[in-house]
Amino acid sequence: MASWNQRIPSFLLSPTQFLSCTTSETFLAELLDKLRDDKANDSKKILLLSVLLEHPTVLCPTTSAGEETAQELVSILNFTPQKSISLKCHLMLAIANVLICTSCLANRSKVAEDYLNFLFTSIQDTNDNAGGPALHAVRGTACECLLEMETCQPGLLSQKLEVLYYLKQQETTVLHQSYCTLYTQALRNAIQILTQQKDVDNAKFRSVLAGNEGFAWQSDKLAKSTLSVSMAQVPQLPTTLDFKELKSIMSLILEESYLMTSPAQAALLRGLVEMVAMVPGISPAIFKSQLLRLFGTTNVELMHATLFMKGTFTDSLFTAEDEHFLLKRLVGMAKHPLLRIPEKLFYMDCILHFPENRPISSSGEECLPVLITPQLTLSLFPTVFNDSTTMLCRLNFLCLVHLEANEEEDGQGLGYLVDHVMALLRIVDNHGSRETVVTSFRAIFVFLLHFNHMENLSEKLVHRLRELYSRNCHLAPNLINLTDRIQERFEDSLWSVRLLKALQRCIVGLPPSQLTLQSLAWHLKILARVAQESQIAQRSTICFLLDILVNSNLCERRSWHVGAAILAVCRNLLQHPTLNQMFIELADLLQHMSGHYEDTDIQDHARFYYTLLTNLSWEKHAGILAKAPVGGQAKVRSLSAITASEELGSCLTVLQTDSCVLQLIKADKNDSQDVVPSTEVLTEKNLYEVYQEQLKTPGFASEVTLTYSLTHVNTTDPRFDRLFTICLHFDVDTSHYMNVDDIYVPCLFRDRKPHRVSVTLKPFHPYPTSLQVSAIFTTEDGQSWHTHLPDVKVSFREIFLPVPLPPGTSLQRKEDVFDRIWDSVTSGEPSASETSLFCFKTGSNTLADLIEKNFQGYVIAQELNRWKVLFYLPPLFHVLLAIREGEDTVQVSIATDNWELLPHVNSYLQNITAHRNATADEESRTRTGIRVEF
Amino acid sequence: MSIRALWVITHEKGESVKLQFSRRYPTVEFRAKTFAGAHYVSVPEDCDIAQLLLTELGLADPDKPYIVARDDCSREQRSPALELRVGSSGGRTVWPVLTIVQGGLILACLPLIEVPPDPRPPLPSMASISQGLSLLSSLQGFLCGTGGKAPEPEVLVSRLATLPSVLMQVCPLGTPLDTLPQSGMLPAALAPGPGGAQKQPAWKTGVHRGRAVVSVALTEMVRSMQYGNQSKQDLWDVHGTVTCKCEVEGVLPNVTVTLTLPPNGSPLQDILVHPCVTSLDSSILTASSVEDNDGSAFSGPYKFPFSPPLEPFRLCSYTSQVPVPPILGSYHLKSDDNQLKLNVVLKLHESIRNSFEYCEAHLPFFNRNLMGNVDIKVTSGQLEVSKEKNLIVWFLGQKFPKSREVTLEGTIHFSGHFAGPTDPMCTDITAYMKLYFRIPDLTLSGCCVDQHSVQVYSSTKPRIITTRELLSSEYYVWNSTGDTPVSSGPVIL
Repeated sequence: MASWNQRIPSFLLSPTQFLSCTTSETFLAELLDKLRDDKANDSKKILLLSVLLEHPTVLCPTTSAGEETAQELVSILNFTPQKSISLKCHLMLAIANVLICTSCLANRSKVAEDYLNFLFTSIQDTNDNAGGPALHAVRGTACECLLEMETCQPGLLSQKLEVLYYLKQQETTVLHQSYCTLYTQALRNAIQILTQQKDVDNAKFRSVLAGNEGFAWQSDKLAKSTLSVSMAQVPQLPTTLDFKELKSIMSLILEESYLMTSPAQAALLRGLVEMVAMVPGISPAIFKSQLLRLFGTTNVELMHATLFMKGTFTDSLFTAEDEHFLLKRLVGMAKHPLLRIPEKLFYMDCILHFPENRPISSSGEECLPVLITPQLTLSLFPTVFNDSTTMLCRLNFLCLVHLEANEEEDGQGLGYLVDHVMALLRIVDNHGSRETVVTSFRAIFVFLLHFNHMENLSEKLVHRLRELYSRNCHLAPNLINLTDRIQERFEDSLWSVRLLKALQRCIVGLPPSQLTLQSLAWHLKILARVAQESQIAQRSTICFLLDILVNSNLCERRSWHVGAAILAVCRNLLQHPTLNQMFIELADLLQHMSGHYEDTDIQDHARFYYTLLTNLSWEKHAGILAKAPVGGQAKVRSLSAITASEELGSCLTVLQTDSCVLQLIKADKNDSQDVVPSTEVLTEKNLYEVYQEQLKTPGFASEVTLTYSLTHVNTTDPRFDRLFTICLHFDVDTSHYMNVDDIYVPCLFRDRKPHRVSVTLKPFHPYPTSLQVSAIFTTEDGQSWHTHLPDVKVSFREIFLPVPLPPGTSLQRKEDVFDRIWDSVTSGEPSASETSLFCFKTGSNTLADLIEKNFQGYVIAQELNRWKVLFYLPPLFHVLLAIREGEDTVQVSIATDNWELLPHVNSYLQNITAHRNATADEESRTRTGIRVEF
Repeated sequence: MSIRALWVITHEKGESVKLQFSRRYPTVEFRAKTFAGAHYVSVPEDCDIAQLLLTELGLADPDKPYIVARDDCSREQRSPALELRVGSSGGRTVWPVLTIVQGGLILACLPLIEVPPDPRPPLPSMASISQGLSLLSSLQGFLCGTGGKAPEPEVLVSRLATLPSVLMQVCPLGTPLDTLPQSGMLPAALAPGPGGAQKQPAWKTGVHRGRAVVSVALTEMVRSMQYGNQSKQDLWDVHGTVTCKCEVEGVLPNVTVTLTLPPNGSPLQDILVHPCVTSLDSSILTASSVEDNDGSAFSGPYKFPFSPPLEPFRLCSYTSQVPVPPILGSYHLKSDDNQLKLNVVLKLHESIRNSFEYCEAHLPFFNRNLMGNVDIKVTSGQLEVSKEKNLIVWFLGQKFPKSREVTLEGTIHFSGHFAGPTDPMCTDITAYMKLYFRIPDLTLSGCCVDQHSVQVYSSTKPRIITTRELLSSEYYVWNSTGDTPVSSGPVIL
């Protein structure tokens, strides 16, 4: 196992990676074990504690884990020898971290309460009277832990103000600052809690200041509301209270504030400002004596606190003169040679968010104070010698100043700013570093943000950028980025279009001698971007491209990259709304490329675009092409992604599934769709004749409709859970059946009911058959798939239809028709007629059962031991059965008007009689999708 | 008012990036979660920090000419606070990350936002911002010293090694209690305070025992841009600092330092004072460089009463406008085929004491082939020609001649076969000369600290040492025959 010296840094570098090979519990247990180890030295233990100091919640994800760990650490702390002061301090901080971060403190765990008591006892030993100097650092740490607990759980010490005040007064060592901070924080939180309470009277107020009780466990909600104080709407204490004592306390704190370090002093000042804001009886004038010292300070925190004071009290503490003075001071500091750059940038921000006594707007947006004039900010003009950040910050600032000053386009100040931008571009022109380039483009962006409405200036910039590009075409990505961003910011601004137009003009006007493969790549990038602009005419682009293709050896150079870049331009052109006006030129270009560009991939793509162009309307191919994201965000993962993005590629490709996804299952024939086309009222006499006539009508009763459920197969592939626009295609044996139309199903979800589809078969010859089914569908991610379904068998009996007589025809009349057909068949009319006989023995079941099971719906007449059964088989055939039950055999006389059906009839009868039990099975098994063949 | 995390990163021009130090403050993170609610974004793990920071600072992937994430023109580089784009989509940001970059060293911290995070609050509305800036500044001072140069690697390593224990003292739970000791110096063991009723200031860990010495050093820096051109105004300015080291007994000894100007001296402007200054007269702060001052402005004496800390500190700083530059230069170049004809004249102003510690003029040449034959004569001083750097250094020694004027004349042939150093600003005959000099016991503003004006209220009379000096800083003389790479605007240094 790696040593702790390696494991701890590797944990700190990435806790998630570290814990991917172990668990936090194991690691924590090991850690605590090692901490208890007497042999380990203090520095090793301090190293181990850094894990708990920085990532307590990773190791103790729950409150209970936090409790246990804190308990362990407390016991380790108790056994740590007196002289290990540093270790003790680290342990104390670790415990505080664990208690706060795992919410042990918020939930008032026992261990948190004990620890608080321990800390509070520690800090009572003021001036190290009892513990001696050895415990000085421990006491300091205890103060910091208590302060952090009060900060995270505001109000915790609100009932101990008197003790804390007393301790603060007692302490004279350097720890005085910690005590003072602790007391001020507790006092501030206590006052804030009071402002949220009703009926606060003098007695209550005094009792809070003189509080000497236990820890105040606030509700979590209250604590949170106290944590975030908004100075915009500060709740106040009632004015009726007596604030004399509080005022003297605060004055004393303020007086002693010079004993504190600058960070602590700044925090203290803010605390006091917040308190004065909450206490109506104490005037902000209490700070008056501090103001001059603060105005002159070189310290950024104290200056910031002063601005906070200014924002809170405005004209109740700061006169208009003060305000003017402070602003001048800020401007001076924003360029002071002895301050650090981040501080100067911050002061510039402070000017833009200056808390004016009489603000015009309070939106929180950047806004120049009224007193800031161009004259006052002369010294903040940016120069090329500034570092990037300062330069951009100053440029933005000065742009605001001159925009505010409502200068005309030829104004002097504005002229200086333009000059500056031009000076930057001159450096870029002279091969400035990458940083200079980026900074210059940012400067242009900042400038345009403010002045893009000024025609002449922005035109001047366009001109300069065009000139710059003509010499430095590697700036193409920067220029494209600039046009994109400006377009995003100002939808109605034409600046980007003007720049792109200028660049286009520059490129198409280049003499061929100046073109290299390298520069061409950049030009094509620009032209591709230009082609996205509907307001720019594209004919010159196409002519340029055609020209270089025809009049150079580009096609023979076989550069795939250049080819792809040209196609990228074409692709955008295909989507251009003025495509019609350049149709022929573009077609020429694509055709030339598909014929002459000596790279197969490029040729193919050009041909593809050519096909799109010449075969589809603009709306259609623009629709197809627009599916790919525009703007270069697409990741280039495959070759085709450059000319046609991958998304487009996959949406044009139909993918093949590996296995069956769908199936058709025969539905119960509960809604037998008998074909009953005629509504004519027929007289008794002519029924047979009319029927014969109808059979001669083309299309009469020539279809069998079979109903299936379209369902998913049982294997689950979540990609196919939701399918859309399913198209079912059937391949039939065309010698016996007509082609079946495709069936469209809008959608199919695995978790919903299967979809019913009706397949209509039109037989030429009503023989059993099997249908080959395939489907094309779309999945949720937009991909198209092709899949085969299991073959669908159509059995002989599935083609049987009841004789298509008008509904309501009585059995008697049906029998009449039966007899007439029988007669005609036996008399050899039509010529294909034939009769036959089939005999079988009845089994255990009676014949009646058999007939009911198989022939129900087809039985025409029934007498004792005699049945007449009539099957109609589209398009116009009949099978007639006359069944007579003898003593031990059953005779089935068969007559049909198509003798070719006889073998099928025979096998059908054999099947139902020989395997009567099997037949019963068959019924149920077809329903579950397993077909049994006859 | 706290910081969530602190990092120190080193890199070499964007390569060999290393996270040298990292410190997180989980209790502050706990508060950050409470304040931000649904907008909370956790601090990225240490393994990701360096790359995120380098991208925002424009330093990542130096070999790639253009990366949108790094070079997008709409990135707000103009603020002292960066945002780190975290998560795979980059949709979530950690903001506001403050940074200080010094050479290959990046210092960064993430202050806590204690106001509603959406919409993004202005920086000045967050107390932690100045705290973070201040912490970074003092961290920079701790690691690099005050010289402004990156420390030697081994010095940096040893200072980084002590950083955890120093931070344990200065910022144990994310709220800075003090600034870091400067130049990596750990406070020496000092005699503890005497106890008693007098409270010990937190910025003074003990008291001085031994001989009392007060040193007050006044340093002025002069900057200049001289164009020698009618259309462009020559510019120069002065800024000064008063640095004190007070070894005086007592917990809170009182010291007063007074700065005085000569009778007609122009007032000190933009005065900034150390927090240990106990009181200020309002007139001291009135003069400002951002507006024209009338003649009636207060011009001293400037009194600064203070109670000093133990370590050396910058008592105050100021700027000043002086009527003339100490050295007026003229630089003429004439280009002729592969050679340049030079003519340089430097004049020391008559009011300036002619006694330098050193004075050098550096003449670099860019975007040319390396120098071949150099034929230059000077009326005073020595020349050093660095052909491989295309640089001519003119050592003027301790004194200008009696005439207070020196000249350099001659021709340089750039006949070498290799290209010399390049610079995007100095193309064609745009060129500059840079002056480096130090004049002891002189200030340009005339400001001085009289030994007798330093008052120390203590039982023993201390020894008082006062010094002053004038240093050049960014002192440029541009070739008057070429373009200068600046706008014609009111360029102020």
